Amino acid sequence: MAAVVGDPRSTPALGRAGGFSDLLPGAAGRRRDLIEAFVGAFESWGYGLLGTPLVEPLDTVAAGIGAARQSQLFRFMDADGALLTLVGERTVSVARVVATQLQREQLPLRLCYAGPVLRNAPLLDGRRREAIQAGCELIGHAGLAADAECIALAAAALERGGVRGVQIDVGHADFIPGVLESAGLDADAQRIVLGALARRDLVAVEAALERTDVRDAERRLLLAFPTLRGGREILDTAAIGLGGDRPRGAIEQLMQLWELIEEHGVTQGVHLDLGAVRDWDYYTGPTFEVFSLDSGFPLGSGGRYDSLLERFGFPARATGFVLHVDRCNDVLTRRDGEPQPPAALRVAWSSGQRVVALSLAKRLRERGVAAVCDLDLTDPRATDAPAQACSDGVHWIARGARGQGSLDAAVDALTGPAG
Amino acid sequence: MKGLRIALPAGTLFDGACDLLRSAGVARIDAAVFDRSLRVEESGNALIKVRPADVPVYVEMGAADCGVVGKDVLWESARDCYELVDLRFGACRLVLAAPEGAALARGDWSGSLRVATKYPESARRFFAGMAVTVELIRLNGAVELAPAAGLADAVLDITATGQTLRANHLVEIAEAGSSTARLIANQAALKTRSDSVNTLAAALRRAADSVRGAEGAA
Repeated sequence: MAAVVGDPRSTPALGRAGGFSDLLPGAAGRRRDLIEAFVGAFESWGYGLLGTPLVEPLDTVAAGIGAARQSQLFRFMDADGALLTLVGERTVSVARVVATQLQREQLPLRLCYAGPVLRNAPLLDGRRREAIQAGCELIGHAGLAADAECIALAAAALERGGVRGVQIDVGHADFIPGVLESAGLDADAQRIVLGALARRDLVAVEAALERTDVRDAERRLLLAFPTLRGGREILDTAAIGLGGDRPRGAIEQLMQLWELIEEHGVTQGVHLDLGAVRDWDYYTGPTFEVFSLDSGFPLGSGGRYDSLLERFGFPARATGFVLHVDRCNDVLTRRDGEPQPPAALRVAWSSGQRVVALSLAKRLRERGVAAVCDLDLTDPRATDAPAQACSDGVHWIARGARGQGSLDAAVDALTGPAG
Repeated sequence: MKGLRIALPAGTLFDGACDLLRSAGVARIDAAVFDRSLRVEESGNALIKVRPADVPVYVEMGAADCGVVGKDVLWESARDCYELVDLRFGACRLVLAAPEGAALARGDWSGSLRVATKYPESARRFFAGMAVTVELIRLNGAVELAPAAGLADAVLDITATGQTLRANHLVEIAEAGSSTARLIANQAALKTRSDSVNTLAAALRRAADSVRGAEGAA
């Protein structure tokens, strides 16, 4: 049987690590555009771009994220025997930088980042092991205005990247744990229900609640929880008959947050989701997730994490979010198809006219038009190059019409009206 | 409820899943409509018939919004999906069974144990923390033959009626779990198509309850 050319089975050196992907021209360019659009939006809101390493000590990462996510890290040992990880997210790195190098800066601090994160997930599950995350952290402000700013900024960044029609679901990390507490569940039962919710197993939630004597109002809320979504009005509905300061406090905060989001003018596409299932050990206040009809995974997520920085010796309140650049790129591909690599304008040249051709290409690039200059002599009459440097001047094809004249005339014709 | 992509499991749960969708008024289908094509458009929804273990894969990756699948499949799957409703059909149990007359069948668990199973993840969880050394042997089918063939001391397998166990002279020693069919949903679909998904969940829950009620009365 003939070997297939390029088949990694026949040429081991051509193999690629599973879960990692190559992006070809076009797709890679659009991902770069997304990163630039997101970071551009962050910077235009005054968030300073931070560069953090791809590698962090295991101890640093372990101080920031839970055991479940630690088990999904690539770990290795360097020549000195230090245990290192490839970062699985970048908020911990930002927290480390703030606690060690920016601790004297005036608060609040606005920081952003963009870069790859890695996940040591099982090979065959079809998930990416490497992905680009772009995110913001707003550190040192306890108020809901900071949370509203993050939601508005996430929406603005996605808009700038051309990721339209997204849905942002805003929840509160204290609501469900608060309802469980005020329902009078003992610590064990609370742990069981929260564990089932974290696994997204609502059948187990129901079973666990059946075994307890939860008050009716709370039971009704907890069983209806996937439907606790909507506009501002669901907060009033949910508050009916609900006792306990914690869940009422969460609802009160969401009411205020909704008004702040309205002031940012981004309530279009924003929903309140009291049933949001998030990492309750990490988030301490309002949370949000970004969804699209064209993706089975969230495009972004964020929330308040007031207890992270104190683990790095810098007690400061903080809120932030992350956008998943590759998932956003997937959404654009689903909507618009694979992007075409940018076409460069070809400049051909006849004998002795190479210098003119190089000069034309240079001036086209200065005017923002990608240009390639032929490496070899061609017979201009035999090519379809839109620009040709010939002994009798420059020939061009622009907007379907042919022209001939000076270098300046050619540059103007090929780049459109000057200015 | 329109525009949902629903994954259905081929195999033992398939007829029950079709019956439930029909009685819930979700789709006027019976199992035979899938004879020609594994993808059927019905009442504005798309239904696909896939291998049971693939249902959570389709749902997690967002290729299907919802799916019907046995809890036993979810035990083995590391896929991240919402488990919305216990559909109450397709009941079966995961049991540890050993040959009649074996020491193990008399409750003697000493020493090490070779256990054949199609459910390695469930087996790992079941035996975790037990003071017994277990060697798991993963098989892909006909697990009940393993003890007689000398391959294993016991089996950890699914049983609905116990008939297969009895026919192979195996007796149940312990139960490791019980399973029924579940409605699962993609995390984003639950948020972006929440009205449709919640309507589907409510309709299937009502249908499952009334089937259960009718069985109770019979």
